[in-house]
Amino acid sequence: MESILEARDLVKRYPVGGSEVEVVRGVSLSVKRGEFVAIMGESGAGKSTVLHLLGGLDQPNAGEVIIDGVPFGSLDDEHASMTRRTKTGFVFQYFNLLPILSVAENVALPFLIAGVSVAEKRSRVEEVLEMVGLSEKVNHRPDQLSAGEQQRVAIARALAGEPAILLADEPTGNLDYATGAEILDILWDSSERLGQTIVLVTHDARAAAYADRVLIVRDGQIIDEVRLGRRANHDAGPLIARLAQLGL
Amino acid sequence: MRLSALAWRSLAARPLRTGLTLLGIALGVALVAGTFLANQASAEAVERAARDLYGNADLRVRSFDAQIGLTQRAVDTLRTLDGVEAAAVVAERRLTLSTLPGDNERVFPLLVIGVDPADEAAVREPALAAGRYLSTGAPNEIVLGVAYAREKGLALGDELLLTGSRTEAPVLTIVGLLEPTGFGALANGAVGVMDRSVLSEAFDVPAPITAVDLVVVEGEIDVVQEGINREMAEPFVVETQEDAAAELGAAQAGFAGISFLFGLVALAVGAFVVTNTLAMTVSERTREIGLLRAAGMVRRQIRNLVLRQGLYLGVIGAGLGVALGVAIGAAMIAILGATRTVLVSGLPIDSQALAVAFLVGVAVTMFASWTPAADAAAVPTMDTLRASQRPGRSLWSRLRWIAIIEVAVLVVGLVIYPLTRGTSPLATIVVAVAVLVGAGLAAAFALEPLGRIVSSPFTWFFGAGGYLGRANLSRDRARAGLTVAAMTVALGAVVALGTTSASADQTADRWVNSIMPGGYAIRLPIPVPIDDFTPVFASVTGTKVASPVALFPAVLDDDGVRREVGMAAIDPTTFEDEGSLIMVEGDRGVAFEALRDGGAVLIPQSFASREGLTIHRNVTLDLPGESAAGFEIVGIVAYSLPGRTGEASVIMSLADAEALWGVTDASLWAMVRQPTVTAATYEGLVAAAAADNAGEPLSAQQVADRLTRSLDELIGLYDALALVAVLIGALGIVNTLSLAVSERVREIAILRAHGMTVGQVQAMVVAEASIMGLVGGLLAAGAGVLMAWAIVATSSHADFAAGLVIPWPLLAAVALMGLGISALAGVYPARRAAKLSMVAGLKGYE
Repeated sequence: MESILEARDLVKRYPVGGSEVEVVRGVSLSVKRGEFVAIMGESGAGKSTVLHLLGGLDQPNAGEVIIDGVPFGSLDDEHASMTRRTKTGFVFQYFNLLPILSVAENVALPFLIAGVSVAEKRSRVEEVLEMVGLSEKVNHRPDQLSAGEQQRVAIARALAGEPAILLADEPTGNLDYATGAEILDILWDSSERLGQTIVLVTHDARAAAYADRVLIVRDGQIIDEVRLGRRANHDAGPLIARLAQLGL
Repeated sequence: MRLSALAWRSLAARPLRTGLTLLGIALGVALVAGTFLANQASAEAVERAARDLYGNADLRVRSFDAQIGLTQRAVDTLRTLDGVEAAAVVAERRLTLSTLPGDNERVFPLLVIGVDPADEAAVREPALAAGRYLSTGAPNEIVLGVAYAREKGLALGDELLLTGSRTEAPVLTIVGLLEPTGFGALANGAVGVMDRSVLSEAFDVPAPITAVDLVVVEGEIDVVQEGINREMAEPFVVETQEDAAAELGAAQAGFAGISFLFGLVALAVGAFVVTNTLAMTVSERTREIGLLRAAGMVRRQIRNLVLRQGLYLGVIGAGLGVALGVAIGAAMIAILGATRTVLVSGLPIDSQALAVAFLVGVAVTMFASWTPAADAAAVPTMDTLRASQRPGRSLWSRLRWIAIIEVAVLVVGLVIYPLTRGTSPLATIVVAVAVLVGAGLAAAFALEPLGRIVSSPFTWFFGAGGYLGRANLSRDRARAGLTVAAMTVALGAVVALGTTSASADQTADRWVNSIMPGGYAIRLPIPVPIDDFTPVFASVTGTKVASPVALFPAVLDDDGVRREVGMAAIDPTTFEDEGSLIMVEGDRGVAFEALRDGGAVLIPQSFASREGLTIHRNVTLDLPGESAAGFEIVGIVAYSLPGRTGEASVIMSLADAEALWGVTDASLWAMVRQPTVTAATYEGLVAAAAADNAGEPLSAQQVADRLTRSLDELIGLYDALALVAVLIGALGIVNTLSLAVSERVREIAILRAHGMTVGQVQAMVVAEASIMGLVGGLLAAGAGVLMAWAIVATSSHADFAAGLVIPWPLLAAVALMGLGISALAGVYPARRAAKLSMVAGLKGYE
């Protein structure tokens, strides 16, 4: 299977006080089309930073990210934005939606940004909203939805533009267990049925257990990889056992 | 830590917002202080002008008819009255001077005052800007108003000729330039003073002695007045320095009130900005407030914390404003002095006025702080500690305090208005401010629906930026509404000015055209025999009719109430045939027929409404020493010819004037052109005829332009004041959007993550600002017209008799100005938004 996302020797440093802290130290990875990959690690391990670099939200100090054959580092703002718009979809932990827009408008946001008429994409918006089970709430405002519903809208938005890769940063971090499981089921379903490539950042082994493969990050480096394989059963046991071996 | 230190740190932590708010307050206070100082300068100038005009004189004995004047015998009588210490004669004549003949010969119309230099020293000492006053024994000297001389490019040592005078008239040398006070304050400074003997000898008819100024021995004033009443055998009026101040002050009417109104406008806009800024700060710091409450701070302390911030902003802003106000006052005075539209003295540093401006600024800021302070104190502690805050109160409940603040501004304005010594009707200000209050609140409520309507072009032009920019307006309606309200009020003032100006211009055009049959006239410096001069003017090539108009004063008796009025005796047929005089009441044909038949008068509407006179009423008119006659008011006209002091005259027929009072002289001829001659050619022919007879050519257009020029210059000054208010409104937009960008860091990061480019983010912020500005501009167009209507409706009818004229191009320009200025104001926040790091935005909440 071809690689759709590739990272080579990524390094990211941030200035802290008068010095610099290296939060990502030579990360390399490759994600194949249709693959569901989780990046796990403790707080401050650098997993979110890796995700930001993979999605082109931040520029590495060294190394390169290639999405669907497009090297991000060589792009200006216009093309980088277009690449994000067409190749990636994002789901974040908090406040994912624009409170001033309705559910349908939030989902249609990528089309709006691309200059495509919302009316033109109405059927696609309805399709993804149906997929996440929110067909009845197209005209609701975000503050009229529960946290789980808001996150489902965010997933619908991320999938609306049929991106090459969906990047999710702790999508269940702000939800209770049952609601989080619903969100993970939706993500897995999109991967299983639609072949959607997914990179999920989480510190929760139960969430990571949905993935085909789990990359363990510590101190800005990938220290291990756990191959779980594609399975309908998302038992976290084997992963937890491996994490325990690593002392996590 | 003390509360005051906490309040101060909170302000210091947001230097940009604090700075912009301070600037807004400072500009508002500066306008108030500046207008106070300009009004003070105007009031002082009037007092000084009257004082300098009289000098040591206690009384002025004025000729009842300025065109006839007092006789030498009357002058001698006054000089020799018991108790008179010194007397100085003043003769007046409107004439034209010219530079010496040659290629660059120029002609200047002005009021020339003839005095006897030997007598002057005992009565007054004119204030000179340069050179010296007239000297005894050197009769060929003249002094000119300094601003007039500068405007005409004349300087000390230049030589002038009396145009149309006898060929042997001497050349006059400019030896001095008068300050705009005393004689220099007359005729808007277009004045010259020269030796009376030369002035009289230069013409066939001596210049009429219009007044004799008397210096009275201390304690003898009653004796002198009794002597005047006893000895004077010809019509006269006794006046004092106070009368002169009142007459000079009448020309200033309206300036003080309207300039003060614009100070209020700026303060009102500033109040919106302060309220909004503090409300935003409270909203932004809700969590901090919750922590303080959790730590044990009581509601009163929270309220005081915000009020202290308001106090600091008010004190510092008002302090800066007072300093800036001195500069604005100086600039206003310089402009008024240079344009000669309003009499002004030098810059007065009136500590009382500055203190009032300072206190008004602090008070308005405190009023504006009250709502955010009350809001902060009222926030439930648990709500403040939640991650996301949403406005929990309705738009009205958040804005009703603004109405109270505005009313407070109005009350403050009414209390301090007397300090401005303005003479403008208070009703105008009251109504105008009421319109502002309504406009401000309407703007807040209309923003969202109106924004939806006007946003289509922005969505089309800016794409996603325009769409989201419009959507952002619904995020915090009170905040966006207040921002737009500030802009609406400021731009509304610009519209109101333009509309008022257009209305006044149209009135002037209609006025002049209605009183000048044919559109041309020749005015002579003295009355001359009608029978001799009518054939002369009728023979001017291309003339259809030369119609004389005799202007003289009379006394009108209405059921025992006697008042001095200006009379204009006309040929009714000419005025009727040329469609002149606009009848407000009465049948036109019947009225002119009645004038021809005799025993009838037409009265101007301003005079009728002031004196309560109605059509078909009978009044008595008489001239001192002549028999009285009864007249019926057969019509009321919109405008009439101006009398001695500029007030509209009562119109009668020349035939009546001659038959009753022997009026056979006139100083004005209306010139009606034959259609076969072009207007431009005829204007030249009339000018030549006027010059040949030492007269002044007039055209309707030229007179209308002259009438409106002064107003236009004042309007220009007010426009500058209103634009300062617009600037304050723009600062409000910068403030609001800067905070909005800070608040939406994460949203912007999410938008960027979903593919929005830097340009699109900038477009979104600029579109949001532009929509606010366009809505503000559109509402301002309506509010401004309403405000102008209030000004027109509460002003004397004669000023705006043509009614309200709506300048549509101006309305469109103001709407676009709102759009443009707001778009510019949005550029800085947009640039800030564009520079935001996506990762920092996302991490801020992760």
